[in-house]
This record gives sequence, structure tokens and C-alpha cells, in this order.
Amino acid sequence: MAYTIQVNHVQRTVDVDGEMPLLWVLRDELNLKGPKLGCGAGLCGACTVHLDGQATRSCITPISSVGNSAVVTIEAMADDPVGKKLQAAWMELDVPQCGYCQSGMIMSVVALLNKRPNPTDAEIDAEITNACRCSTYHRIRQAIHLAAAKMSVQGRAL
Amino acid sequence: MSKSDLHQPGISRRDLLSAAAAASGALVVGFWMPQRAAADGIDPAGAAWARKPAVDEVNAWVVVAPDDTVTIRIAQTELGQGVWTSNAMMVCEELQCDWSKVRPQYASANRDAREMAPEWTLNVMGNGATDPTGGGEPEFGDRSRTGIEGIPDSLYRRMRTNAAASVKDGRYYLQLAGAEARERLLLAAAKSWGVPVEEVTSANSVITHGPTGRTNTYGQVAALAAHTPHPHPEQIRIKSPSQWTLMGTEQKNLDVPLKVSGKTIYGIDVRLPGMKWAAVKSCPVYGGTVKRFDFERIRNEPGIRSAIQFPIPDAALIRGRVFGGGVAVIADSWYQAKSALEKMPIEWDVPAKYAAVNTAGIRASLMAAIDKPGKVRVNVGDCNSAFASGAKLVEATYSTPYLPRARMEPGNATVLVTDNRVDIWIGDQSPQETRYSASQITGIPETNVYVHLCHLGGGFGRNGNGPQAEQALYIANHNRGTPIHLLWTREEDFINTTYRAMGVARLRAALDADGWPVALEARVAMDEKAPGIVASFDKAARYHVPNYRFSTHTETFHIPVGTRRGVGQPANDYYRESFMNELAHAAGKDPYLYRRGLISRTSLPYKADMIKALDIAAEMSGWGQPLPQGMARAIALEERGGEAGGQATISAQVHTVSISKQGELRLERVDVAHEEGFSLVNPLSVRKQIEGQITWFYNDAMHQQSNVKDGRMVENNFDTFPLSRLKENPPEINITFFKTGHWLRGMGHDRGTSIQSAVADAVFQITGKRYRDLPFRNHDLTWS
Repeated sequence: MAYTIQVNHVQRTVDVDGEMPLLWVLRDELNLKGPKLGCGAGLCGACTVHLDGQATRSCITPISSVGNSAVVTIEAMADDPVGKKLQAAWMELDVPQCGYCQSGMIMSVVALLNKRPNPTDAEIDAEITNACRCSTYHRIRQAIHLAAAKMSVQGRAL
Repeated sequence: MSKSDLHQPGISRRDLLSAAAAASGALVVGFWMPQRAAADGIDPAGAAWARKPAVDEVNAWVVVAPDDTVTIRIAQTELGQGVWTSNAMMVCEELQCDWSKVRPQYASANRDAREMAPEWTLNVMGNGATDPTGGGEPEFGDRSRTGIEGIPDSLYRRMRTNAAASVKDGRYYLQLAGAEARERLLLAAAKSWGVPVEEVTSANSVITHGPTGRTNTYGQVAALAAHTPHPHPEQIRIKSPSQWTLMGTEQKNLDVPLKVSGKTIYGIDVRLPGMKWAAVKSCPVYGGTVKRFDFERIRNEPGIRSAIQFPIPDAALIRGRVFGGGVAVIADSWYQAKSALEKMPIEWDVPAKYAAVNTAGIRASLMAAIDKPGKVRVNVGDCNSAFASGAKLVEATYSTPYLPRARMEPGNATVLVTDNRVDIWIGDQSPQETRYSASQITGIPETNVYVHLCHLGGGFGRNGNGPQAEQALYIANHNRGTPIHLLWTREEDFINTTYRAMGVARLRAALDADGWPVALEARVAMDEKAPGIVASFDKAARYHVPNYRFSTHTETFHIPVGTRRGVGQPANDYYRESFMNELAHAAGKDPYLYRRGLISRTSLPYKADMIKALDIAAEMSGWGQPLPQGMARAIALEERGGEAGGQATISAQVHTVSISKQGELRLERVDVAHEEGFSLVNPLSVRKQIEGQITWFYNDAMHQQSNVKDGRMVENNFDTFPLSRLKENPPEINITFFKTGHWLRGMGHDRGTSIQSAVADAVFQITGKRYRDLPFRNHDLTWS
């Protein structure tokens, strides 16, 4: 069946089974390899994308449920004001180790910063539940605060 | 060279190949894509595998382009430990190029099958572990086609990534490679200027003729250098740390920019024109296989192409680990393959003896093994007499569970087999082994096998690479001409991996009237195939005791076991350091001072470094200062090679832990004292490794456990096998480095084991309860 969805601000049409998870539509139909398979059960967050700005685990989101929601992936973050700052902070602190979880991790953090531009540690703990097996959490936390500080210095809430 | 030269005495095949390579300025064998259909687009910027360069290489590790871009060949696999950058640093320190123009590229496992290492890379100079001007003590196993131990004299020698040994084993010849390339660039410049090479120097890719001030760049002379052999490469010497300008400085990791953009091509991301996907189910009981399956039920599902049963992977190809046979469904997309596979009826043929195995039975076998004599590894003095003498006895039995690696990227491999060539794209810690497997499975010689390495989404243990390559090779061999991309679900990844073996340990000590141990006996029991069973206890007691006996006790189980991060260190460190805490408490002594006193009475070559580590960590943590109720500190020594006097890595950590009355445990703070040896290569990567390993082993201590029931592993996703999340990370980590007088052994995998014994002791201090079986989520941590 044909589904037309908005991905990274562009309308895309795919012909797939309605149950196909958005993750596989993105990766294999649309060749967007940023979102990753970690568990296939919504337990790890490696597949995290945005649906209308909300962090969403695409491995358990059937394509038939997406509708008109705007899908945004890590590939669009270089052009996103918050995403760009976050990626800069990630690079300044050399956050990633193997890096496999980081696409999903960054998407989760961007969603958080869009809601809470200067989150406390408790808010970070509650919102960022993505698994990082290399356990780069120490630098992730620092990079979130670094990005938030830079954003507020420039007087931009978004 | 004439054919008769091959038979001249004194000219080895190695010499001929090296000479031929130098004479022709050998070109790289590059990335190859099947000539078929329009390319589906792999972003070349994200692909790390070898590409055909536009210019000739200077040597097998160094390519310099006319614009001064320097390509460094990396023979280990980047999996988060930073070799992509630190290996390049080891070459570039000597090369003296512009670091901002360096880009790494994976070395070719195919060339490694065809070419020998240049003679001048084979000799380790200097006087071993304590010589700062020398090459240290690299270890190469016997030359073996399987590549399990690395291949001592193939072109890239050790291509495996394991044992935290990338620096220890590779540093000296990577430095030599950089120096040889530098010298040939200088020779080329000198030749082009008609001046003596002694008058020419270089820095940052700029070559200067001292007397005239003339300059040139590496890029300008690289083509000439590629054809300018060095007259005496065996005379080249490497720099010592006092001369380093790049190594020893914090450098950002070169793979990070693509990783934060989602552009890195991991093995799972590989896509080739005409590729088909394979979803796989293996028999969850190891040693079992497929009795029958009914492909007809799914033949007409969308995108389905075929199904193939694969046999139990050849144990000889996976170091004796026995996995199950299974069945693969091949389809136009992975989701189609996986969905259809789930609907396809499969009947397993399971050996009854394996189906009867469960955790309790394994544990009982190990406990029984502990009581048998076992294999005595160390026996100093007379423990039996000391124990019989009426001194105070302390005894404890500990256990650690089966543990998988559970790396974030599920197992996968992309393979194309034709009648005369194999290409495999894979994240893999042992490409020489995989090359050998490819040759064995397809019958195609290794010289026609190409292993295109990808960055790995986590490593955590070389053997745990499991049989994904072997499965994919088998399937692709039966579908020659079609690229096959095999991908496991997370559930399959939990099946098709080696596990760290369950362990049981019993430690017993006799204390004198002052509380010092006069006898110590350690017994460790594991599967006989488990690697590393002697860690932490072997050769000599780290804590002084006049009577010391260490024995190992093994049984055989069908669960495939292999190396997992730290190998034998994590479990054995847990037993040893936990027991030291128990002895200190029994003696009524401070656990830090107890350790300090005992180490100082040994004659271990590095006891001063161990004491220094303990002292620094204790001071950093405020050891001895009062803590509020519900908080406690524990200290532990971490060392690898600390008993032998060779290359060693010594550190100590103090963990400050809080436990609420409701039993919620929180790691509040970690203070780390870590030696640098003569120097670290990239201190930034070392910091990241320490930070990551603290939480990694915290995860082991608190959460992780794999149970066996009916012969199969029970836990198969992250609901039943929890992973630590950000909220559990300690808010404060402090790291202090200190130099010592030896080369480091390595630190990629056993620098956080102390958290395990620390948590155990903090629980005891706060709650009064002594638990000895990991993980702690199984225990009641409440107190009042």
C-alpha cells in the first residue's frame, strides 16, 4: 500500500505493508541510515526520531500510524538550530565512543531541549532514557549543559 | 629478478615481495563494488573501508596526496576505544605531518594475505617493558593461518582488536612505519634538491633545507618518495616519550564528526546494488539444529525469495564454540524477511542432554568442582598446615553469572561470493580470522578474500563476534553472485554470541592475632573453555601472605563461552578485592591501609606503583573523612600484569556509594588514580574509557545476568536484561594520572572492575548484609 509521509521536510511516498515499522521505511525504503536498530522492541532508543517534535521510537511505530506527522531524523540536525548546537557540544567534548546509539541519543536530547532549554539534571535523568552501552553518559550530561548554556547565552530559547 | 633468484640461498620470499613492492610503489587494492545496476548510494564519506587512492603509497601505512592529505592505514577496528585516532597518532608522531590533514582508512586484510611485513618492522628494539627508548614487549603468537593470534609477519601482522593490546603490540612498528615514511620523504626532497639528506628536516608536512631555507611539502615529493627506497631501514630508531609532540596530547577522535551526524557506515548500514537481505533463526539450544521447516507457508509473502537451512557453524572456525544450526529467509528487504521468518514453522532437533541444562545445575557442578583438587597454579609455603593451626579462619564463596556482550549493534555481515572472489563488509574484531573462515567456507583462497572493515557499534570481546560472518558466508556461497546482507534481531544476537562463563570462587584465609593473613587459598571454577581463569591470582599473590595456593577447577558445559570485556579480570578482581575487604573487616582494619600494608610487604616489582595508586585514590576521595549515614566508600586495586614486571596497567579506584533505606543504591562519586606508564598515547581516549568502564562494570555489578533454562539462554532483550541508563551514572568522576617506569599493558577493558567489590562492600557497610553473588538487583538492600 502507498503511504505518503513527510520526512525531513520533504514529502516521500513508499509502497509497503502498513505494519512495517517507520525505522525500516526510513532505513531501507528511503535510505536514511541514521536511525539504528538496537532492540526492535522500543527498549533502547537507538531508533529515536521526531514525530511532530516528540522523541519517538521508530522501531515500534507502524508506518500506518504516522499520517501527517512530520518525521525528522538525525540527518536533518545539521540544519536545525538546536541540533547544530548539540552536535557542536558533542564534538567539543568528544562524546561518542562507538557512536551507534548517538543518532537516537541526540534526537532525544534535541526534543528535550526544545521543551526545556535549560534542563536540570533531574529533568535530563527523567527524559533521556536511551541506552548507551559504551556508557558515554558522563560526557552526554556535560554536553547537554554545555549546549544549553551556549543557547541561553545567545538568547535563543529554540 | 629472474626466476632463478627464487632459489638463491639468502633471499627469502619476504625479501622478494618487499623489494618488489618498493620497486613498483604498490598501489592499494581498493574498494570494489559489483558492476551492476545503478548504485543505491552508500555515502562515501561515511565508509571507512579501503579506497583506491589516486596516488602511490609511501609505504603500506602511509599515503600522501599532492595536497598534503595524509591517509594512514589502520589495522585495528574502531569500536569506541579510539584506535582510529590513536593508531594514526603513533604513525604521525614519527611522520611529522600536518595532523589537521590526516584521515585514517582501514588496512586491507586482502593485502595482508598477499604480502609480508617488511623486514625492518619485525625487530623490536630496546630492552623491554622498562626501556622508554624501546619498543616495549609486544606479543605475537605462533604464525597461524586462522589469525587467532595475529600473524607475526604478514603485512599488517596483528589485525585483531583484543586484549586491550592495540598500543602494546602495535606501537613500535607503527612508529617505525611513520619514521620510514618520513625518512623517505626527506630522501626524496634531498634528491630533488641535490643536497645531502642530513641537511633536510621536516615538521607539519613542511620540509626545510637548513642551509638555504628552501622549503617544500610532503605532497610535492610524495610521488618521488614512493619510488625512493630507504637504504638502511633497519637502522631507523623510534622516538621516546620525552621527544613526543603529538602522542601524549589530548586529541579529538577523528571518527566523531560523522558519528554525531549519523553518517558513519556501520556494518548494518552497508547497502549494495542488487543486495538481498537475510533474516535468520538459529536453534536457541546450542548444539541443536533444524529438523524441518515449511517454506511453502511463506513462499508467497511479499518480497520473499528463498529459504536455506544452514548447518551448525564449523566449530573449528569459531574457536571451538558450538552454536546452533538454523534457517535463513532471503527477501528483498529485511523487514519482509524477518516478518516471513516469524510466520514460518520450524521444528528444532535438540540434543536431550543439552535441553536438560539449567543455571542451578551449572552452579551445582561448579560448586562440586571447587571441592575437587583442580589444577594447582601457584603453591607457596604450606596452606594446609596454616589452616590447621587454629588461626582465625575467614572463608567466602562468590559467584558471577553468564554475561553476553550485548553490543548496541546487532550482529550482521554483508557478503558477496563469486566463483573466484569473496567480499565481506563487516564490523569485526578479527578480520584475519574472518578471512580464513571465508576461505574455508567458500573454497576460495584467502588471497582472493576481501574483508572491508566497518566501524563497530560496540565490541566488548573479540570472540563474541559470534558466527554472523560464518552464517552470512554460508548463505552467500549458496547464492553466488548476489550480495547477501544478514542481520540478526536483538533476540538472535543474544543467542548467537559467546558468553562470559559463569564463575564460582571460594577464598579462604587464616589470620594471625594482628589480623594479617598467614595463609590464603583461592579456588576459581569455570567452564574449561573459558579464557582468563587465572587472572588476578596467578604467579604471585598481590597482597603479601607467606602461604598461598591458587587452583582452578573446570567443568564442561554446552553454552558457548569466550572473551568478554576484561576476559578473566572482571570476575577474578571481584573475588579478590571483595575478599580483601572481608579480611580487613575481620581484622578490624581500614581496607585501604590493610591493602597498603600487605602490598608493601610483597616483593612485587611494581608494588611502589600499586601503593601510589591506592594513596592517590584515597586522598582524592577524602578517605577517612566521615560520611553521612547511608553512604560508604570502598577502595580497590586494579592491575593487569602487576605480578610479572613486564608491561602492566595499574590503577586504583574509590567508589562512594549511597543506599536509601528503601534499598535504592546510587553510585555518587568515583575517584580514579591511573598510571600513564611512560606516557599515554591519547589521554582523552583514556579518560573516556575510564568513564565508560565505570558504568559498564556498574551495570554488571547491579543488573546483568543471563540464566540458562532448558539448555537455552533465557534473557533475550533489554527488558529482561537491563542496561544502565544515564540516571545511574555517577554525578562525579575524578581522574588523576601519574607516570611510572614501564610501558602500559593496555586499558581498554579492565579499568572499572573495582566497582563490583566496592558495591559489595558499601552494601555491607551500610546495611550490614554481606552478599557475594552478582548481580545486586537480586538482593534486598533495605536497611533501617
